[in-house]
Amino acid sequence: MKSVMTGNQAIARGFWEAGGRLAASYPGSPTVEMLESLKDYDEIYSEFSVNEKVALEVAMGASFYGARAMASMKHVGVNIAADPLMTFTQTKINGGFVLVSGDDPGMASSQNEQDNRMFGKFANMGILYPGNSQEAKDYMKIALEMSENFQMPMLLDITSRVCHSRSMVDTGTRVEKEISGFSPDREKYTMLPPHTFKPQHEMKERMEKLSETAYDIPINQLFEKEGTDTLIVTSGLMYYNLLELDPDVSIYKLGMVYPLSERRMRELADKYSKIIVLEEMMPFIENELTLLGIPCRGKDLFSFTGELHIEDIGKGLEKVGIIEGSEELEAPRVQTVPRPPMFCAGCPHRPVFDVLKKAKVRVIGDIGCYSMAALDQWDASDIMISMGASVGITKGMNKMMRRNGDQAPLVSVIGDGTFFHSGMTGFVNLLHQMDEDDNMTFIILENSTTAMTGGQHNASSGNFTQTDDMKVDVEAMLRAIGFTNVRKVDQFDYKAMKEAVKEETGRNGTSVIITTRPCALRFKIREKNFYVDPKVCIGCRTCVKTNCPPIRMKEYQGIDKLKSFIDPDMCVGCSVCAQVCPVGAIKRSQ
Amino acid sequence: MKNIMVAGVGGQGLVLATKIMAEAALKAGLDVKTNDVVGLSQRGGMVWGSARIGKEVHSPNIPVGEADILLGMEPLEALRWKGLLRKGAIVVINEKRTYPSSVLLEQAEYPEKEIGDLEQDYVVIRVDAVREAKEAGNIKAANTVVLGILARHMDIDREVWEEVLLENVPPKAMDANIKAFNIGYEYQ
Repeated sequence: MKSVMTGNQAIARGFWEAGGRLAASYPGSPTVEMLESLKDYDEIYSEFSVNEKVALEVAMGASFYGARAMASMKHVGVNIAADPLMTFTQTKINGGFVLVSGDDPGMASSQNEQDNRMFGKFANMGILYPGNSQEAKDYMKIALEMSENFQMPMLLDITSRVCHSRSMVDTGTRVEKEISGFSPDREKYTMLPPHTFKPQHEMKERMEKLSETAYDIPINQLFEKEGTDTLIVTSGLMYYNLLELDPDVSIYKLGMVYPLSERRMRELADKYSKIIVLEEMMPFIENELTLLGIPCRGKDLFSFTGELHIEDIGKGLEKVGIIEGSEELEAPRVQTVPRPPMFCAGCPHRPVFDVLKKAKVRVIGDIGCYSMAALDQWDASDIMISMGASVGITKGMNKMMRRNGDQAPLVSVIGDGTFFHSGMTGFVNLLHQMDEDDNMTFIILENSTTAMTGGQHNASSGNFTQTDDMKVDVEAMLRAIGFTNVRKVDQFDYKAMKEAVKEETGRNGTSVIITTRPCALRFKIREKNFYVDPKVCIGCRTCVKTNCPPIRMKEYQGIDKLKSFIDPDMCVGCSVCAQVCPVGAIKRSQ
Repeated sequence: MKNIMVAGVGGQGLVLATKIMAEAALKAGLDVKTNDVVGLSQRGGMVWGSARIGKEVHSPNIPVGEADILLGMEPLEALRWKGLLRKGAIVVINEKRTYPSSVLLEQAEYPEKEIGDLEQDYVVIRVDAVREAKEAGNIKAANTVVLGILARHMDIDREVWEEVLLENVPPKAMDANIKAFNIGYEYQ
């Protein structure tokens, strides 16, 4: 049967059809929807784990027990999971194991652009690289087979465009795969030396075997044209973008980008005098060819960063005369007023950052919706690196500030999802070598969800909803670790929030403020809306500066000066604007 | 081949719009590929989606200068994608303005003139989709009004669109969505 699916949905479907049993993930664009789709299949145990490392480990457990397993994550998630991955790969895989990495050329929603094909090679994994939804589904099944045949974990590396793009998929039925169970074998599964010596050779041997099959596996496709001396080697979406240009060349499309077949590549190099590699991000395939001593071009024609659109490929091919006279094209997007993302109406982060901005304190940020505090319209956060990094960074900067005679307070913000993901360990570390002149205030924005990726549950969601089973008490946990100065604040009580920040930053020590309002988007909170009385409003713009989507300045009939205005269709009634208004001009509708 | 671009503001439900286009194409026996922006930009940022529908579609990306129809769910967002359009393309503009941060903070002016000038080069259809949706009985059906306008310009039967629409909206919103679709389809 034919249906249309996103790449994410197709991967879930492929896993189900292949008899997959367990899938674990941590939400991150572009792969979030994979696990959400897997939830629809009853035969599969699936979970969003607390972080990518744990997700990988949960999937490893299933594989050790002889069940087909997958772990999916965004590209930077693999960094978190790298420790178990780099050793798991030394074992002989029992149940087929596929790691799905969602790479993000162009960084549509990521903090870096790392090319995880490098990770696949580093971890001695074969790498499949789909270019549309049909391939995403098929490659998942092939990867599971390969994983079992070569006793190797496989990497299914997919780019964000292919994750989110919909296209036709032929769906099939599920083929049950027996769970073979676990047979203890310390040499195979206990990675202590000397058991680690033999696997080094085994990893090399299995990769050589896989490389032999690369010679003629059906997913490596050669499309030859008569009378051309040029071969373009490509993979994934780049192949389909290339077809739009219909160049007069032969094309070798790699479904498996690693390992390559040396024999096949040498044959092609003998036949074609010009080889061009078309790939997004790093020169990965290009480097593999270069290592084989096969001359080729690639990154001198196409950018090493960003997505390669049809137009970019055209420009690159024009440089070598394959395409002629592609006219100067307009940019698809015209230069006009930008529209950066902003905190939603009713977002509980708004009062926190309004207070911090006015307090003029240095703020170290972390990953979540609250990263937006670093945008120009807020200018309320100064550093943001990776999940959970704020905690350690704050400590290190604090130590150096004090030793440098700088007594300014330091504030750090972290969401609950990020706290559970990788912030907790940093908090334990704070208790080591505390000094009297430390002045650190950690604000944990407990909104009961992983908001930025669309509102997945996290370990504190159960405190707010019945449907989530985990309800970790962050305050109790911190007290149990050994923090004494921990307070909870309802940040929609603006004065209380302001007071808490003032007190905690005003004294030395290490303090924690837990804010308690849940995410406005996931929990769709809507109270009676607020409106501005233009006769009372003095036009001071204090409300406008809270940067809430419904609030702007407006001309009222019969009033000279601009006065503020709240779009009633958008206001959800959080009351923050009314609380910051110095003259009481903002009132709740009846 | 028809190339359709949808542009709007995060939270307007563009992903559902491209899904409906894709499923309508499938039912009509055509090939289709779509794109969507998913991620942080959902929070009130600029978002877009696209669909390419025809006999055989290679890339999901619309080549520059080849978009046939632009559905601007917000006027500024319609303007932003002007460069993608072919000459004489149809531009549907939902009149409801959602002001970006810099306009709210009075650091930039909303580009009303440039939006008005779109009429010089393209066939512009202006619609207050929010008002029409309210008329149909559900303010959330604004996108459906715009989809109705799109359907009028596609070679896919009206019944196919209605069928797909009903498969994609909650039961209690079905009536309002069919009404909204019809308002769009008949929109002059």
